[in-house]
Amino acid sequence: MNWFGFWLCLATLFIIGLGFVWVIRGERYFGYLWWPYVMGAGIISILGSLFISNNWASALLGAFGASLIWGSTELKEQAVRGEIGWYPFRAKKILPPFVNVIKKWKAPSL
Amino acid sequence: MSVNINPVGLAAALATFFGVWLGHVSVRKIERETVNLWKPTLIALALSAGFGAASFLTSSLSLSAICGILSVTLFWDSFEFQRQQKRIKHGHAPANPNNLRHAKILAEYSEATSFDWLNRDPRGTPYSPAELESMKEGAK
Repeated sequence: MNWFGFWLCLATLFIIGLGFVWVIRGERYFGYLWWPYVMGAGIISILGSLFISNNWASALLGAFGASLIWGSTELKEQAVRGEIGWYPFRAKKILPPFVNVIKKWKAPSL
Repeated sequence: MSVNINPVGLAAALATFFGVWLGHVSVRKIERETVNLWKPTLIALALSAGFGAASFLTSSLSLSAICGILSVTLFWDSFEFQRQQKRIKHGHAPANPNNLRHAKILAEYSEATSFDWLNRDPRGTPYSPAELESMKEGAK
């Protein structure tokens, strides 16, 4: 019996569940324009996981990185949900560096 | 100096991303088209059980990780069919008038609509109730 997948799936469930929280809170206070940084952090996490010899640490970092990439694609829709009143809207957001460049890019939504 | 690459994290990442993405898209698509939700719910549960069993039986850590994560995302999806139906009732997801179950929801729930509220870019300011009403009316 290999229990690795079972315990990892419980940890992943927690990581995905956490994703709901940080996407909602993160968008409210920081705005969706942080998406390239969140996506970049996800990619770096997954690449970093390749160089970690401990299997648990590597797997958790990989799953966390994937949830960051997924979350980065959810930020735009979450911003709309706030604007149409489904979630509390906070006008004053902490904007990311190079915000004017990022505004010209099409935010991903899957 | 040699660097050992550990594929377990990448396996977990791919399973998580594609499990969540495909689950997200499939649940919305299937809920939109299916009249009886218990069928896809049972299929998702059966697939979840299958992947769960496979995760215990394989000796490979990467395969066990992939099967375990797909098992849990499918288990989540099996409940998402009902949650998606709730979103339809509240108008938070567009109803499909050609689906008999959705047609009933459209008739019974005043907030239900075939209008997709989320199909727009953020504009940076909240919409007023009057704007929301005119958007909904304009879509009819």
